[in-house]
Amino acid sequence: MMHYNKYPEIKPGLKLLKRMYVVTMLFVFGRAFQAVSRVDRGAKEVFAKMPDDFVLDFCVVPNGPHMVVGKDEKGRIKYMGWNPAGKKVTIYMKIKNMDAAFRMLTFQESSCTATSRDRLIVDGDLPTACGVLHIMDLLEVLLLPKFLAKLGVKRYPKWSQLSPVRKWTSRLLTYVRLVA
Amino acid sequence: MILPEYYEFCCRVKTVAGHRALEKISPELVRMNAKKPMIITDKGVAGAGLIKIVSSAISSSKGGKTSVGAVYDNVPPDSDLKIVQEVAKLYRSKDCDSIIAVGGGSVLDTAKGVNILVSLGGDDLMQYAGSGAVKKKLKPMIAVPTTSGTGSEMTLVAVIADHERNVKLPFVSYFLLPDVAVLDSRMTRTLPPALTTSTAIDALTHACEAYTCMAKNPVSDSTALEAIRLIAGNVLNVVKKPGDLEGRLALANGSALAGMAFSNSMVGLVHMLGHATGGACGVPHGVCMSIYLPYGLEYNLHKTSHLTAELLLPLAGPEVYAATPKAERATKAIAVIRKLNQDLHEATQGRHARFLKEVIDRDGKQMVPKDALPTIANTAMGDATQFYNPEDLDFNDCMMVLEHAWEGIPLDLKKVKKGGKGIKF
Repeated sequence: MMHYNKYPEIKPGLKLLKRMYVVTMLFVFGRAFQAVSRVDRGAKEVFAKMPDDFVLDFCVVPNGPHMVVGKDEKGRIKYMGWNPAGKKVTIYMKIKNMDAAFRMLTFQESSCTATSRDRLIVDGDLPTACGVLHIMDLLEVLLLPKFLAKLGVKRYPKWSQLSPVRKWTSRLLTYVRLVA
Repeated sequence: MILPEYYEFCCRVKTVAGHRALEKISPELVRMNAKKPMIITDKGVAGAGLIKIVSSAISSSKGGKTSVGAVYDNVPPDSDLKIVQEVAKLYRSKDCDSIIAVGGGSVLDTAKGVNILVSLGGDDLMQYAGSGAVKKKLKPMIAVPTTSGTGSEMTLVAVIADHERNVKLPFVSYFLLPDVAVLDSRMTRTLPPALTTSTAIDALTHACEAYTCMAKNPVSDSTALEAIRLIAGNVLNVVKKPGDLEGRLALANGSALAGMAFSNSMVGLVHMLGHATGGACGVPHGVCMSIYLPYGLEYNLHKTSHLTAELLLPLAGPEVYAATPKAERATKAIAVIRKLNQDLHEATQGRHARFLKEVIDRDGKQMVPKDALPTIANTAMGDATQFYNPEDLDFNDCMMVLEHAWEGIPLDLKKVKKGGKGIKF
């Protein structure tokens, strides 16, 4: 019988396509965080409650990718890129593996379900994490068609919660800032 | 029973339970290489003579190699960061090597906070706030609950107030699980009736929410159902006969089981509003739970009626369960909880609060004025338990529930904004 030390180390597959998709989505979400913070009053209220030194590293463990978003010196929300090195991260939100990230970012599984199934882990201030998840839900509503967004949020907002004027204005302006 | 695609369950607390379980504290300390424990407690517990019982159980233990290094008996009901620093200072000055927390939720949570500081160093507990910030094994800790409610002896959570910011800070880490939980009926025998009821309903809430919220799993379901059976079957008897040690032990076990359940499957709306009400108005946690539990179950009814219906069996027993048509079991379960609250209100001569407007402090002053409801709702929006609640909540939803709970009227289910069935749990 072969000694266990002699067994070859099994390295996880790269899952290249899934990785590319997740990288793209985190890039889009990162820029969308910045965009929505400038155009939607609900998002502005949520971000205003976050601490001045707020820097979020939303990542897939163990090897990334990352999405770093935080407040700049003027207190504005800014997408800070994919590399957390050298940044004073105050809150980590980690998805346990690439498959879980893919499920979440393809809206097969909502962020709430991912949290309930221990796939999304928070290291840091929990009220701030609540705010981040509220923004993610809002972005799903603004950026995605209703039939897709309904899969990702517990309750798609009714008119009384999010007026069509606010929804379409914020949607349009977020998209414009996203691609500009 | 719902089997999730994936779940995690962890409870590595050694449980020692019985009518003379305290005598096992000393051997447990020796097993963990601890010789000089510090006892952390509050004035009520010390005044009731419980510390004497604990100390005598430690000293009378055979082969006693342990001696109490220090006793801090001044933990207030709503402990905060400053108290934690004060206790940590005493621990260091007396050169203690372990902690025995004897008390209710505030004492146990304070002890966990103290353990963070004395194990990891420093005086700034804030840096360990939130989830996952405590990353190392802490000093040995034994939890001896004197209320049957918080389940803190079984949980990985500590909630400590920051009175400067008027918020309650959660600390979440597997390293906050105590090493040993000692459940001894002598510890709850002198608990006043109003505290017995509110803490017991707190434990009942842990179990009910663990069973009906999004992170439920088969292991937590099992402990939750047994916890409900033990609590619902004994709480009224214990209030009527405070010396009923069998009943007391049953409640202690129910509380521990409920703690085990909710520590792994988390809680929802009831705790979300409860934490906020405690933070904003200083209402004891157990009182909040008693009031909000039926409302939390009602609010989620359109998504979890099949689960709430299953609570009827442990709540009311097999005869009532079998006699109730399937479609009515969920509402019946909620009615049984309301009836239990009413019975406890009568058994405690009105001291067990049923709704928010009748909560008063020691001076008879109303603790939750109606104009405090927006503050509570606003604070609740920052509480992480909302993510485990089956239905979404925004500020207006919280206000709607709070207004009903303030008046003491059942929730108007037409006012509940119902989400789709896209979310699976």
